[in-house]
Amino acid sequence: MARQTTVFIVDDDDAVRGSLRLLLKSAGLPAVAHASAQEFLDQWHPEQPGCLILDVRMPGMSGLELQSELNRRGAIIPVIFISGHGDIPMAVEAIQHGAFDFLPKPFGDKDLIDRVQRALAADAENRKTRIEKETLRSRYDSLTPREQEVLTLVTQGKANKVMAGDLGVSQRTVEIHRARVMEKMGAHSLAQLVRMTIDLEINREI
Amino acid sequence: MALNPENSAVQRDLQALLDATVDAVVVIDARGRIESFNRAGERLFGYSQGEVLGCNVSMLMTDIDRQAHDSYMERYMGTGVAHIIGIGREVDARRKDGSVFPVFLSVGQVPGSDPPRFVGLLHDITLRREAMASIRRERDRANLYLEIAQVFLLALSAERRVQLVNRKGCDVLGRREMDILGRDWLDVAVPEDQRDLVLAELAALAERPMHEERYFEHEVLATDGRRRLIAWRCLAMRNASGELIGYFASGEDVTDARRDAEDAALAQQRITQVGRLATMGEMAAGIAHELNQPLAAIANYANAALRMTATDGVTAAGDEDLHLALHQISQQALRAGEIIRRLRALVQNRETRLELANLNELIVEVLSFLQSDIRHGEVRVIRELGVDIPIALLDKIQIQQILLNLIRNAIEALTECPAPNRELRVASRYDGESNLFIEIIDRGPGVPDELISRIFDPFCTTKATGTGLGLAISRTIAEAHQGRLFYEPAQEGGSRFILQLPYRRGNA
Repeated sequence: MARQTTVFIVDDDDAVRGSLRLLLKSAGLPAVAHASAQEFLDQWHPEQPGCLILDVRMPGMSGLELQSELNRRGAIIPVIFISGHGDIPMAVEAIQHGAFDFLPKPFGDKDLIDRVQRALAADAENRKTRIEKETLRSRYDSLTPREQEVLTLVTQGKANKVMAGDLGVSQRTVEIHRARVMEKMGAHSLAQLVRMTIDLEINREI
Repeated sequence: MALNPENSAVQRDLQALLDATVDAVVVIDARGRIESFNRAGERLFGYSQGEVLGCNVSMLMTDIDRQAHDSYMERYMGTGVAHIIGIGREVDARRKDGSVFPVFLSVGQVPGSDPPRFVGLLHDITLRREAMASIRRERDRANLYLEIAQVFLLALSAERRVQLVNRKGCDVLGRREMDILGRDWLDVAVPEDQRDLVLAELAALAERPMHEERYFEHEVLATDGRRRLIAWRCLAMRNASGELIGYFASGEDVTDARRDAEDAALAQQRITQVGRLATMGEMAAGIAHELNQPLAAIANYANAALRMTATDGVTAAGDEDLHLALHQISQQALRAGEIIRRLRALVQNRETRLELANLNELIVEVLSFLQSDIRHGEVRVIRELGVDIPIALLDKIQIQQILLNLIRNAIEALTECPAPNRELRVASRYDGESNLFIEIIDRGPGVPDELISRIFDPFCTTKATGTGLGLAISRTIAEAHQGRLFYEPAQEGGSRFILQLPYRRGNA
């Protein structure tokens, strides 16, 4: 079942949490709020699209600690930090560790919603790229070893005749392999196939 | 047997008397010739009677006196004015073997003799001389002690007249001994505003039994008008019958020490002030955070309401005003947030001042500031200061502020446990590369588990009267130094705070 894009809010302050959820809802953005970093982690799934609005200072695991934990788990969810302290060094640290943005409390609704929307767009883009890459990878994995060999040689620009010589098979056999590769990879042209190998980061000698 | 040979009983008695006396008795005629010489004379001078009778008395004298003697005699004969007769004086006498010894010489004229005859009585004073010399030596030695003493020594009579003052005393007052001796101590050294104090102390001493000391301090006035503060130990002196005969006092000039103590107190005050400023900063930070949360909520709620009314479509007549009101709520909340931000920036504007400093010296200084708390709390302090701690760039005041907070906390924690366990360990070390460490370890109750994650948060405190800001400030300062301050439960129970500071060497 496809997961719905969600804006997650993690803040220990009840009023901030509640008001943020309402504000996002009023802007048509589905939001889920958590009172602690741990509570968020407990339900978090890497496939869940969305973004995270995260308070910097919280009892227990702080916002910055949650960020590094997510990084450790290879999460790609964009994080918008919010803080009542508004301390610049902390903001810098957060951004250096890959935070999407930083907002001092209190903030205007446009400032927040703009950022949230950009974060969601970035997340969607990231996920799309990731899914494409994963699809590509699984298609590549479905090739037989001989087909993978042919793919490599084709994208190196070798003619069927040369490949037949290299592989010690007939030119006809090479043509059949080549057609299978194009079909399995879902490529409509040689150029498209070359692009795929670049995205897959195989065939580095090209 | 030179006396007139009339063998009367009186003469025999006289001779016996002369022979029995321990002093030499010599009778001479007007020309100085010896007429009589007793046994003691023989014993003292080593001459027999026969050797001296008829000889000039100068044979018993040293060369110097010998020449003078004839002229003394002539003068007396000529003028009749006696310089020695009936007075006596100490002179040197010479034995037969040439050795010289001191005698006390009394001279008298034999009454009615004409030409005059004289009787000389010579009392050997060798022993007395030696005794005198050794007394003088002792006295000189005692004086030397007085002179080299680094304390002010003073003896006063019962009427406060100065009877003795040593060199140190003279130095302090800037006066010569002769200008002090015999004068009233109050007049010579005590400024007017201190006199009642001195009189009261002396009066109190006069009431005390002998050997009971009193300690007091008063200022003395030097001739250059400067005042010095002297701490006195003073005794009343009494004679055998217990009457007060005076006072003896030794005083230490504590002016400089007192000033040093005041300087230290001032330095501490300065630290406390910086601490207060830091506290204000942290308080502002704390308040800012506490206020920014509800302000954020207000702005969010207002904006949410604004959006909801807008998306529902502007229909009712009053909606425009509602719109404006909601917009204003959100704008005013943002404005309040801005005011807080500016206020915070204002208070926080204390830049760190880095200077080269020795971490160990900072520790020792802080411990000395807290000396009275440590003593009062009966806390044993164990210093484990690394010997290889390099001089580093630090903000001395701020680091001391952290140490002051941590050590004060430790002392307070320790006063909760029995005295034998009140042990505070202050250690410093250098990891040889880029970090300096200070550890403050106490064997107090430690931090309760449920609080460990929050002790550095502002307003978190376990103390009834604490502000909950000390550790928060300390951590803020440590972080401003790109350092760290963290807590670990100590192994033997109690707390262990570790301050880690980056080692920055100077631009050498």
